[in-house]
Amino acid sequence: MTDSHLTRRTLLRYGAYGAGAAALAGTAASWDRLTGADIPGRDDGSLVVATLGPAYGPEAIRTLTEGFKKVHPDIKLRINAVQATDWSDFFAKILTQIAAGTAPDLVYVATEGVQLFAQRLGVALDAWVKRDAAELREYFADVHPSLVESMMYEGSLYQLPVEFNAADMYLNSQVLKRAGAGFPAADWTRDDFTELLRDMKKSSGSQFTPYFWTNRLWGGVVPWLFANGTNLLTESKAPGGAWLWDGFYPSAARQGRGGGFRWTTPQATDARVEESYDYLASLIQEGLCTRPEGGNGQNLIGVFSTGRVGVTPAGGFWAGGLHLAGMEPGSFDVQYFPRWRTQRMQYGAAGYSLLRTSKKQDEAWEFIKFAARRDTLMRLFETNQTTPARRSMLTADRYRESGPRHWQVFYDTLDKFPDTGPIPAPPQVAEVEQVLLKHTGTALSSRRSVGPALRRMQSDLEKAMERDV
Amino acid sequence: MTNTQMPAVRPSRPATTPATGAAQPSARDRGTRLLATLFLAPTIVGIVVFTVVPIVGSVVLSLFHWNVIDSPRWAGAANYREVFTDSTVLVSFRNTLVFMVLAVALQLLIALVLALAVNGRMPMWLRSVFRSAFFFPLVLSAASISVVMKYLFNQDFGVVNWVLGQVGIAPVPWLTSEHSAMAAVILVYVWQQFGFSFLLFVGGLNNIPKEIHEAASLDGATGLRKHLHVTLPLLSPTLLVATVVGVINALQVFEQPYVLTDGGPGDSTRTVVMVIYESAFEQLRFGEASAVGVLLFVLIMAVTALQFRLSRRFVHYQ
Repeated sequence: MTDSHLTRRTLLRYGAYGAGAAALAGTAASWDRLTGADIPGRDDGSLVVATLGPAYGPEAIRTLTEGFKKVHPDIKLRINAVQATDWSDFFAKILTQIAAGTAPDLVYVATEGVQLFAQRLGVALDAWVKRDAAELREYFADVHPSLVESMMYEGSLYQLPVEFNAADMYLNSQVLKRAGAGFPAADWTRDDFTELLRDMKKSSGSQFTPYFWTNRLWGGVVPWLFANGTNLLTESKAPGGAWLWDGFYPSAARQGRGGGFRWTTPQATDARVEESYDYLASLIQEGLCTRPEGGNGQNLIGVFSTGRVGVTPAGGFWAGGLHLAGMEPGSFDVQYFPRWRTQRMQYGAAGYSLLRTSKKQDEAWEFIKFAARRDTLMRLFETNQTTPARRSMLTADRYRESGPRHWQVFYDTLDKFPDTGPIPAPPQVAEVEQVLLKHTGTALSSRRSVGPALRRMQSDLEKAMERDV
Repeated sequence: MTNTQMPAVRPSRPATTPATGAAQPSARDRGTRLLATLFLAPTIVGIVVFTVVPIVGSVVLSLFHWNVIDSPRWAGAANYREVFTDSTVLVSFRNTLVFMVLAVALQLLIALVLALAVNGRMPMWLRSVFRSAFFFPLVLSAASISVVMKYLFNQDFGVVNWVLGQVGIAPVPWLTSEHSAMAAVILVYVWQQFGFSFLLFVGGLNNIPKEIHEAASLDGATGLRKHLHVTLPLLSPTLLVATVVGVINALQVFEQPYVLTDGGPGDSTRTVVMVIYESAFEQLRFGEASAVGVLLFVLIMAVTALQFRLSRRFVHYQ
């Protein structure tokens, strides 16, 4: 090799290169980690609120920013509407922002992420709630305690719920009429439900499936588990929370409340869980029900509004959705989820979570209060795209144009069935949901598959729950 | 390019020349070298920032536990041990390999047959129409296509089953059965991707001198025989490129199974890149996700190297 003889000049040159690289590395190492916030112009001192994009269009953003400016002209607000297909996708994008060093101050978080955010990222609101108790008394009087409890974690409150959606049953009136069936009673049973599906099937063509459902944590198998008096994970209540219940709720509403839900031991092999899956498998086998399809039910509005589906579980959000799809108020209606062993129903709620990394926590608290005000929610939820957490907002006037006729069902799901509770969403929710969806798909391929698939689900859930988030 | 231009980039130094300054590049050479470096710099910087750094970053990250929220913790080989014992990861590798073999084979076959057909006798305008039509799906977003296909393949309400129903075929659970879901994903993927191979083959076929075909015809070769013994060997360099690109793309398939089936039913259509996405962005296990990414990188490199090695036997350059 000719290069084995290094010249003095070459040696000096390489030495200079090495020294330069070392100096550069040293300088870089001595600096604080650069983040997205260091990009000039990125951090303009605004209070940043991340919301789920599809649910917050330009009109909603304007409502929030202009309304907040009137109340707090000194606080600059920026709404960051993150486009995502579902809550899981939304949380993934928020976490990416946190990793990039551009964490928002507040994040709109649904039940799916309440405990994850509370455990790892959020700030408890207890001190502010106690401080502004007089101001908040009207809010708590208007919001069902179960919704508030679903936003608590280990005795502390992390969010003020502004909306929720329980899985009630939507029925297509045209299909009911075709089947010669009446609107079901409020206390209808699982057997009544099955008979109704059979009647619908008999009176319709081959391109019709009576019951449609989406394979997901909210509104999939879980409502059936609740109706059958069981759950995917054992459910209990954390101690604590008396500071809130005693301060804001009358003794009747305080009954049985604690410091938030705890979902711990997987129980996929529980006899009632197996029974619930077996029931759904039998519906599929009989052609009364669609096979579990993943996703967010995007294609459902089309098939329901055209009478190719008769019944489906959905929340108050669907009143607005069906209205937008052109359905007349009388062409669909809603009833409670049918009774099995119980008539306990499931819901998901959402509110703003304050992040620990926020340097504007007092300003953020002002926004949380503003977002939970009645006038704000009235302007925000004009199109019935969800069920407001405030009971007083659910009026005949609100549903006159969109329907459904039995709109009271939405809030009565909480008021008349006080054991109605949130979907099981421990901090490990992402993995729990993935395991649920995966094994539900295989469990319902045939009735024989139920047992083996649930055993695999149990094993995977145990692994998921053992993991630290 | 002639050899006289080479020193502009890399001045040669005779092996026997003493190192002491005799072959110092001239001022002009240095200027040319600087200019070349300047021209190459954007590309080099791009490759370093967007390819090399992420690859190195992934390898480093695969040795740590990191959940975005807390600081990374040293894990050593723990993530790799976890990956090798995780049945979902192993199944995803199996699925990806099955997908790769079937999808690439089908994609190349369809592309080749159509390229031969389009290259046959037909009016120029019709040829242009076919070329555009076959290439068009490739410029669309895979996610958008998958959303539409999800509607079409819906068991209860999809157009595909409606059409089958018109000829008396019972509804097929395209996306909800373990047996048919992978087939549906492959069909959607191939429908979108074959246009690339098709264009390569059309180009390759046009480069085959007509005289060779004429000579083969004079020797009595016709139809399939001519394609097997003349066209295919002469097209083999193009076939190699199409296969290598097709395999690399197929091993990284994500959008189609993610949108169409979300990896299900069960794990039957879960692919390696889906596992990387789920581990990292849904379960916050960035170290494990990086370990899977590193293994996929190794797999892609190994399969590509194998293809080039095998090409020595099967590829014929004129």
